[in-house]
Amino acid sequence: MASLTGCGGGDDGGSGGNASGGSCSVPIVNPDATQVSVWGWYPNLQKVATNFNNTHDDVQVCLTNAGQGVDEYNKFQTAITAGSGAPDVIMLETDQVPGFALQGGLTDLSEYGASDVQGKFSEGAWKDVSSGDAVYGIPVDGGPMAMMYRTDIFEQYGLTVPTTWDEYRAQAEKLKAAGGPLMGDVPSNVPAPMVALMQQKGAVPWEYDAANPTDLKINLNDQNSKDVLDYWANMVKDGLAGKQDQFTTDYISGVVRGDYATYVSAAWAPGYLTGAGAGEGADAGKWAVAPLPQWDPANPVQVNWGGSVFSVTEQAQDKEAAAVVAKELYADDESLKDGWVNQIIFPLNTSVLTSDEFINNQSTFFNGQTANKDVYIPAADAYEGSTYSPFSNNFYAEFTKEITAMNNGEKTGSEAADSLQESMETYAEQQGFTLS
Amino acid sequence: MSVLSKPTAEAPARPAAPPPRRHDPRRQPRRWGSHLFLGFLVLYFILPLWFLVVASTKDAGGLFNGTGGALWFDQGFHFFENLSTLFTYNDGIYLKWLGNSLLYAFAAGIGATVLAVLAGYAFAKFDFPGRRLTFSLLLGAVMVPATALVIPTFVLLSRLELTNTAWAVILPSMLNPFGVYLMRVYAADGVPDELLDAARMDGAGEFRTFFSVALPLMRPAIVTVLLLSVVGTWNNYFLPLAVLSDSTKFPITVGLNLWQGLAGANNGGGTSLYALIIVGSLVSIIPLVIAFLGLQKYWQGGLAIGSLK
Amino acid sequence: MASLGTADQVASSAAAATATGGRPRPEARKQLKGRGTNAWVAWAFLAPFALVFLVFLVAPLLYALYLSLYTKGLATGERFAGLDNYTRAFTDPSFLNGIWFVLRFTLVVIPVQMAVSLLAALVLDSLTSRFSRFSRLVIFVPYAIPAVIGALMWGFLYSPNFGPLQQIFGDSAPFLLADGGLFAGLTNVVTWQWAGYYMIIIYAALQGIDPAIYEAAKIDGATGLQVALRIKIPMVSSALVLILVFAVIGTLQFFTEPQVLRPISNGGITADITPNVYAFNLAFNYAQVNYASAIAFALGIVVFLGVYIFLFATRKRGGFLK
Repeated sequence: MASLTGCGGGDDGGSGGNASGGSCSVPIVNPDATQVSVWGWYPNLQKVATNFNNTHDDVQVCLTNAGQGVDEYNKFQTAITAGSGAPDVIMLETDQVPGFALQGGLTDLSEYGASDVQGKFSEGAWKDVSSGDAVYGIPVDGGPMAMMYRTDIFEQYGLTVPTTWDEYRAQAEKLKAAGGPLMGDVPSNVPAPMVALMQQKGAVPWEYDAANPTDLKINLNDQNSKDVLDYWANMVKDGLAGKQDQFTTDYISGVVRGDYATYVSAAWAPGYLTGAGAGEGADAGKWAVAPLPQWDPANPVQVNWGGSVFSVTEQAQDKEAAAVVAKELYADDESLKDGWVNQIIFPLNTSVLTSDEFINNQSTFFNGQTANKDVYIPAADAYEGSTYSPFSNNFYAEFTKEITAMNNGEKTGSEAADSLQESMETYAEQQGFTLS
Repeated sequence: MSVLSKPTAEAPARPAAPPPRRHDPRRQPRRWGSHLFLGFLVLYFILPLWFLVVASTKDAGGLFNGTGGALWFDQGFHFFENLSTLFTYNDGIYLKWLGNSLLYAFAAGIGATVLAVLAGYAFAKFDFPGRRLTFSLLLGAVMVPATALVIPTFVLLSRLELTNTAWAVILPSMLNPFGVYLMRVYAADGVPDELLDAARMDGAGEFRTFFSVALPLMRPAIVTVLLLSVVGTWNNYFLPLAVLSDSTKFPITVGLNLWQGLAGANNGGGTSLYALIIVGSLVSIIPLVIAFLGLQKYWQGGLAIGSLK
Repeated sequence: MASLGTADQVASSAAAATATGGRPRPEARKQLKGRGTNAWVAWAFLAPFALVFLVFLVAPLLYALYLSLYTKGLATGERFAGLDNYTRAFTDPSFLNGIWFVLRFTLVVIPVQMAVSLLAALVLDSLTSRFSRFSRLVIFVPYAIPAVIGALMWGFLYSPNFGPLQQIFGDSAPFLLADGGLFAGLTNVVTWQWAGYYMIIIYAALQGIDPAIYEAAKIDGATGLQVALRIKIPMVSSALVLILVFAVIGTLQFFTEPQVLRPISNGGITADITPNVYAFNLAFNYAQVNYASAIAFALGIVVFLGVYIFLFATRKRGGFLK
């Protein structure tokens, strides 16, 4: 409880650096304990790590912000190549885990008591960090997908909230006919949600098991994938959806301005938008969220975009201690609460997902809507997990090219799916995989 | 290509009067064409800076949906608010970055200059076996793209246990082959052999001759190489990005890019980082701009002197 | 372009151009201290630089060369590959397209850059007003701004939603980072960043010309344009050639600006747009250090050939590498 002052830990500046490492960004409470170095970039990790240090006698966390996302991965990649320089524990986005695991960069936590905490996570969340029997990370937060929408635009144009993708398209056409803004957006720079939407229709793009690391199955051009890509390619072609890159200032300003009636996104999106200045100005109180539209409403499928985990690296000095950190960092009630309240992430720990406070929280961003209860928790519960590509970065770079081609009208969705399949097969063979 | 035709257009305006060299500015007629052209260039080159100044007075809302547009002020004036957030956000990490940049730039700049002066002098004033080969090697080395070197350099630094330390940025940045080239060219001309020989006749040793005779003569080139090396390190992004993992050790370029990454992802943690990135960029360019303005007599002299002398 | 010190290399190199520019310099070499006994003194002066050169350039280079001769797939172990990576590079569309891109880009950006900087220098050289001194500084200032920050600023300014282009053109505003606008967009950023620096070099060289030459030309009845074309430009040609060489090297190794602007380019800037960006992504994102090293060396070979051809073509004017 006393650790509420954790955020003040940095105020004493230099005195915080009493640890041997000297570069920890949080105070080490027990200098005699085993120190575990952690890389992560969420701003509230300082609080989280302080909470951990205050409540652990034999293990202490030395936190470093090594850069956000790709910058951190680049450093980790260099460290793996060089054989040194990696931290003991690293925060990774979930889709990065198989790639680093494949390179021998990550420790299989099933040998270090991962099963102790398995019960705290849904099956889908656990599947995301597992490959066969191996477990390469402990989930922190996830991104159950949903459809955020602008109530002001929906009201103005008399739209109804779509529950299927057919309805979504119909509303988009209505919106366009009435001279309204775009219904949605198809960004080329973040293909991950498109992969999720393909999975929603039943596509299984990657089949891979760390137990047989050279065997790989790629299905990026089955009919389901093609249907989804064609659907969105046509949305863009018919002027119903934009082709603006996301996570950019232009997208944000477009969102705030009301250029898009919906934002098909994940549970962390309100945090992202708030941090970028949305939901405060012209668009304050105008957001609501509905479940993701479905292809077959009789058999709804929920999917996930993003989220992060803590993994133990293969270079970790003391893997036991590192595993303790991976399992218990960001797992105490106080940190978790700070996570969803201040950092606005969507925790995967069931202690949060089942707490009344979280369930009944009335989201300010969504104008008082109980978004967790109505939309996000059911979506997270129904998510069945997926297998990510063992070479996500290359996959995304190629997918970006294909979406760009789709958006520019150079390829249909089906054609894009075929050429993506082809380039991924070529790449996989080049990398020594056996395709089945 | 309209730019190209510009001087032709103003050429007739250039009268048969004596070319207005440095000696008598008053005799120069006003040259409206030339000034117009310059005015256009000034507008172009100052545009992004003007944007930076204007944008630094806006909050995130004003930045993206302000009433005045990108190049004019918004209704709200948030400059001081942005500035104070900039210096306090994340325990004032911005100031740390600024300090790091200064440290790296000056340590590496001074180091590079010292090495370049010594080596340039050796190339200019001594004939020794392997001189030509060494010098060609030095010039050829620039053609290898830096990306090839980053991972090996990282491996090397990690063997020396220097990754994630200031040395990892400073030591490689001390390598400035063209500083050597410049010093060589300058010393060959600017330090007469007769003076060196005279000093040697007087019984001065080689090092004493260097320090008492050559070094003072090389001063203008030294200032120039120093400034250029400092700027090179200050502006460097790739090397510190690769060899530093702890954000408290980042220089300002890598730090601002970290914020850009955080702002682009969902991870601002409630603070809008875009306004900080803008005001942070503005503050970060002030030291170097001041240094250049304040020292312009020296560096412009240094750049020109090789041909004026 | 700034990377592992490339920026300051370009910087000081260009400064060197000035030093050589203007007028022929006496052949100092023949009078050198040639006493063999003094070789150790020379090496003593050279030693500190040589040490840094060996440790931070030669050693990493050799190691990279070694790496480029091996291959390692994600699903396979490392094995010796000889020159396989190089044959792969020269048949890899990503690499070849990247080379093609930077070659085309060089042909566009360098004339623009040179035109702007040469014109600015000539105009500034002909003026002595207060405004011209002010202009000189303003044009030069971008050089003191890190390429990363410059690219970030232009990224904001290119915004089709809230940038100035939107205010001028409305919804039909061109987007300068994708499709047809990409070349213009990148050319603009690079020109803004470097033209002022090149301008200062040329300007310094121009200032070094003996005014008596102009007097003579005037007596012969030469116009201002003739003076510029027949006297000024030829007399600073060695500075121009050196600037060009380093502009060519820098442009072929184009990296920082596309890397920073890539995430906001709506797919216009790909992960393999230039060979250097491609090598970076191979090494850091795709875990292919061996192949990345080969790509970087292959690029080095292309750059070397390009510069060699360029120097050969301009050998009458240059000669600074002798």
